[in-house]
Amino acid sequence: MPYLYNTSDDQAAMLAAIGAQSIEELFQSIPSELRLDRPLNIPPAMGELELEQHIRGLAAKNLNGSNAVTFLGGGSYDHFVPAAVDAVASRSEFYTSYTPYQAEVSQGNLQAMFEYQSLITRLTGLDVSNCSLYDGGSSAAEAVLMAADITRRKGRVVVAASVHPEYRQTISTYVANLGIEVVTVGAENGTVDIAELTSVVNDETSCVVLQHPNFFGCLEDAETVAQVAHDAGALMIGVFDPISLGLLKRPGDWGADIAVAEGQSLGTPMSYGGPVLGILACKEKLIRRLPGRVVGTTTDRRGNPCYTLTMQTREQHIRREKSTSNVCSNQALFALRATVYLSLVGPEGLKSVANLCLQKSRYLADKLDSTSRFELVFNSPTFKEFVVRDKENAVEDLVADAAKEGYLAGIPLGGWYPNLADCMLVCVTEKRTRAQLDALVEVLQTGAAKASADELIQAGI
Amino acid sequence: MKNTRDTKLIFDLSRPGCRGAVLPECDVPAADVTSLLPASALAESSPELPEVTEPQVIRHFMNLSQLNMSVDTHFYPLGSCTMKYNPKRNERAAAMPGFAEVHPYQPDETKQGMLEMLFGMQEMLKEISGLEACSLQPAAGAHGELTALLVAAAYFNDFGENRKKVLVPDNAHGTNPASAAMAGFESVTVKTNIDGGVDMEDFHSKLDDDIAVFMITNPNTVGIFESHMRELADAVHARGGLIYLDGANMNAILGVTRPGDFGADMQHYNPHKTFSGPHGGGGPGAGPICVVEKLATYLPGPVVEQGECPDNAGQTYYSLETPAKSIGKMRAFFGNTGVLLRAYCYIRTHGPDGLRAVSDNAVLNANYLLSLVKDFLPVPQGGRCMHEFVASASKLKAERGISAMDIAKRLLDFGFHAPTVYFPLTVKEAIMIEPTETESKETLDAFAETLRTIVGEDADLLHEAPHSTDISRPNEVAAARNPCLSCM
Repeated sequence: MPYLYNTSDDQAAMLAAIGAQSIEELFQSIPSELRLDRPLNIPPAMGELELEQHIRGLAAKNLNGSNAVTFLGGGSYDHFVPAAVDAVASRSEFYTSYTPYQAEVSQGNLQAMFEYQSLITRLTGLDVSNCSLYDGGSSAAEAVLMAADITRRKGRVVVAASVHPEYRQTISTYVANLGIEVVTVGAENGTVDIAELTSVVNDETSCVVLQHPNFFGCLEDAETVAQVAHDAGALMIGVFDPISLGLLKRPGDWGADIAVAEGQSLGTPMSYGGPVLGILACKEKLIRRLPGRVVGTTTDRRGNPCYTLTMQTREQHIRREKSTSNVCSNQALFALRATVYLSLVGPEGLKSVANLCLQKSRYLADKLDSTSRFELVFNSPTFKEFVVRDKENAVEDLVADAAKEGYLAGIPLGGWYPNLADCMLVCVTEKRTRAQLDALVEVLQTGAAKASADELIQAGI
Repeated sequence: MKNTRDTKLIFDLSRPGCRGAVLPECDVPAADVTSLLPASALAESSPELPEVTEPQVIRHFMNLSQLNMSVDTHFYPLGSCTMKYNPKRNERAAAMPGFAEVHPYQPDETKQGMLEMLFGMQEMLKEISGLEACSLQPAAGAHGELTALLVAAAYFNDFGENRKKVLVPDNAHGTNPASAAMAGFESVTVKTNIDGGVDMEDFHSKLDDDIAVFMITNPNTVGIFESHMRELADAVHARGGLIYLDGANMNAILGVTRPGDFGADMQHYNPHKTFSGPHGGGGPGAGPICVVEKLATYLPGPVVEQGECPDNAGQTYYSLETPAKSIGKMRAFFGNTGVLLRAYCYIRTHGPDGLRAVSDNAVLNANYLLSLVKDFLPVPQGGRCMHEFVASASKLKAERGISAMDIAKRLLDFGFHAPTVYFPLTVKEAIMIEPTETESKETLDAFAETLRTIVGEDADLLHEAPHSTDISRPNEVAAARNPCLSCM
């Protein structure tokens, strides 16, 4: 085995030191009737070369960024990742280290996490950030648990139907055994129905969860929704797209008490949805209920400034059954990627990325809307995604046909929204070129394009 | 040689006008932003981000990286965390665009390679655990614990039972009781005995018909196999309860014994421990769970199923299905597939004999190290161990004032990462050591010799340790009393 050092001579010497006759003897404490009396039934070992060939073969069966053009969004985005992000994240002093329990030999990780927290608080306009959770969906669920605990309202959580369906499912899963009711408020016109929202938010409501821009890509009237929540004494949980903050007001500025996001957009590849980055930031008054780990500044014994994990009393290490968080492994490496990404793009770069998404998605939306087959479904302004209806009601077939040409055209919505069964969600990032946008329109209208996605990619357009 | 100038905060390196990334001009006709978005939604000022160049960013973070100890640079005997070598071939695989640049909502027919890999992973995890169904969705070990407890809650609710209690041994990982609380259960502590195993008398006294789940780590956190496992499982099952196996210590038993065979109904894996995923400075990990057949229908979805291609009979086709009574989702999308792919590569590299060799050598290394240190650093449950053992500095503390923390910090001076200290709580001044199978006899000899040197050193020297690191011990009390979590 390539990762085992001990030779048979070593093993013999070690057994002698232990005073054992054989390795088998070391397992004596496992009763024989509980032993597996045969080899595991898994495939035989492969050398590195065979493994590489096997993995390449599997990879070749997947449409991906090297042979297809994607217009899929819905919480996972094909944004550009500068090479410097990979260069930093592939430093094995970062990626093969552990949680920085020993601060003296982890100042690099700790400072990077502190910088991440600082960037996230500045980006969101909130006071404090943890140093990452699993993903956007589980962060939303953690925020809901925070709100129920802080407000001491175990009655009701109000969630807009325009929040990512899988985030809503995750929230429901997390609270299912806690006796908390999840009330979903309709969004028939692409944004949450504020009259309905106002009618269901009551004095037993711990929080209102709103995504802005929402799952359909539409901008919500976030300030009004926050006002409704606050008037009832509930907390406002805002789900945001970090890239959108190149142009849009920060969650803290429109009234969110807790802001959560999927941070994959910030320098992390899609990786089939994971691993990604759960962002969670909140107002200072909620700090003692902040889930996950946080890094703070302090001084060492010599009086020098340094960083350390802090406020761990909320965690599983100390209070165990009274702890308010069970988070142990988080997404630290992806928080590092986000830190590097945000440092590289800076204020002007983030504005550029956001503006390119906005302009290009508007261009594609208008183009599709002007065809005879498609129409835009909602009137609200959108950021980088929009919902388009196929008047011939054949969205699944369209998507399948476009995929044969290498275009991942959109996400059919019928599985989550039966009334939108003839619609799909289309996303445009800064990576899409005008040639790709035009080709998609052609493919969707005619079932084929003059150039397949692979040909466009090979030609560098 | 230390470059402290470039390790100042990234914000302090900022200079207006510097750029680290320049985006292309817009190649479609651009409209004024205010004509596309309402003024009320627009930010009034630019995002508050640093302005730095790419070389500055690289130099800053490369210098930060050098302030870390890591598995690639140091021995990391961190008990319970299984810090084994992270193979480079796995990193190359995960970086391939055919995996890294796949979108979660692509049609199934455009990602058959991804689904084939994930299906293979489900099958291998089922076989290794001896359980019948698998969901790869949970994003970390503790997330897997929470998932399994929610699966258990759904199972009992389905039969109209409202069981409230979860039994957890006092030496369990802190995540166990925390997960139980998050899932709406009441956590009841079961004592362990002087030998480090579950105290059977206390266990039986706490067993009643309100038991939902008994969470057990086996091998347990003091590194011994719970030899009464069958009796424990039978007793819980007789009451209608379920056994949950905390899979954090699977590294000790691969191919030796299987949780499903010793009574577990559910277990999570920590692929980043057992199957060598890098820990990333705290994450990402993954926390897939396996369960017995009767719980399969409650698993979070989707899971991968193997069938025949609808258009091409006889050709294997993989699809995503959500179990009929699924608890729902624990996160968006499928799971931490990038971590699972690394683990898949690890398992395929080893095969059945190789996995067994991993456990053999992990257990051999731990017992060897135990034999080297027990004479000068007592190991209370120290006859034989599995893949880790827990020493105690309590005698040193009483006699010479040397604490577990002192020893941990002094090890840093000698170029060894510290073991886990003060866990489990059942051992006073605990020092929990797990060498893993990827360390050599020479490294273990050097580590043991260093420990021997340290316990012979002057107590005052140890109280002040570490002496050679960039900083000395941080004032954690001050950090917590007056939290400063960002730079304003």
